Amino acid sequence: MKPQHLSDEAVAAFADGVLTGHARDRACRHLNECAECRLAVKDQREAAAALRTAPAPALPTNLLDRLRTLPLTTPLPPPPPQAIDPDGNAVLSTFAPMAAFAPAAPAGPANRTRGRTYLTAAVLAGMTGALVVGGVALASDDDASTPAVRPAHHVQSGPVGPPAAPVVQVFHGGAGH
Amino acid sequence: MSAESSAELAGEPAAWVPPTWDEVVREHADRVYRLAFRLSGNRADAEDLTQETFVRVFKSLAQYAPGTFEGWLHRITTNLFLDMVRRRQRIRFDALPEDAGDRLAGSDPGPEQAYDELHLDPEIQAALDALPPDFRVAVVLCDLEQLSYEEIAATLGIKVGTVRSRIHRGRVLLRQALAHRAPGVRPLEPAVGPALEPELQEALEA
Repeated sequence: MKPQHLSDEAVAAFADGVLTGHARDRACRHLNECAECRLAVKDQREAAAALRTAPAPALPTNLLDRLRTLPLTTPLPPPPPQAIDPDGNAVLSTFAPMAAFAPAAPAGPANRTRGRTYLTAAVLAGMTGALVVGGVALASDDDASTPAVRPAHHVQSGPVGPPAAPVVQVFHGGAGH
Repeated sequence: MSAESSAELAGEPAAWVPPTWDEVVREHADRVYRLAFRLSGNRADAEDLTQETFVRVFKSLAQYAPGTFEGWLHRITTNLFLDMVRRRQRIRFDALPEDAGDRLAGSDPGPEQAYDELHLDPEIQAALDALPPDFRVAVVLCDLEQLSYEEIAATLGIKVGTVRSRIHRGRVLLRQALAHRAPGVRPLEPAVGPALEPELQEALEA
């Protein structure tokens, strides 16, 4: 490629509209005179457009189910080092209050008829949660200096709508609600 | 859960409310699967990559810092994919010295491929599959996930200049592959990105 042509990097950047200021002005001047570089920019934009307009693969529903129940089948690593929050309570991590999960109850009347399924799942989840909580409690007992785990006051049920699916705290000791 | 009710429960206004696992999955599974599919090129690998990504996420939620969830997911998915590619290349070279070259050259379409081809643009996926993995990752993150060059550089741990040249090269190959496979079906969609000056736009389209 002749030295006065745009570099490959500049061609890509120009095609994506991220060249600015001086570099962009120079590229524009060159493109006005150089068919070769115009074609290069055009190819970049067409390749990008071909990708962007391609239909997206849909998530298989059985995979979605597996992902949602993943906490039931995935052993958690040992609890991470604890931090202390301003109130002097132990916080497991940034994400500590998270970790609640429950199969989401879809809003609407259909919800009632499927309540049993969700409840069953929640009971199973509860068992797993209890095991994990037990693990946390043991770890706390071993270390007398470790304060109690802060209850997750603000982790409650999933979507609004009767009846709310029971929520299980995975990482949490303490009565959350 | 609405922001209002959670704030009430927490007794503090506008506190960050960590998502439930179900919310994490519902919000991000589509995107992770799409990325995994575009990278791996088939449903079986895409499912494995997606599942493994979420397993990693679940196991390391404790280390998660709010605000970078999508970047985190991109990084995990992409790295798992690149690991998978390298592992397979090693296995093939070790186990199949005689015909390793042939095997590497062709991707064998699994039984799932037929299903997916009904739903996807097979030309595009085939063109993507033909790209070297490093180029494919850069192009997919840029043009499908619409990450900035800087975000891609951070995701892959490489320099922005390297990102640009991989994207450039990847798109050149992609464009050639598409032109070759379907000469009559050139991508019609004209421009992506911001509008250009009218005269330059004209020149580009000439």
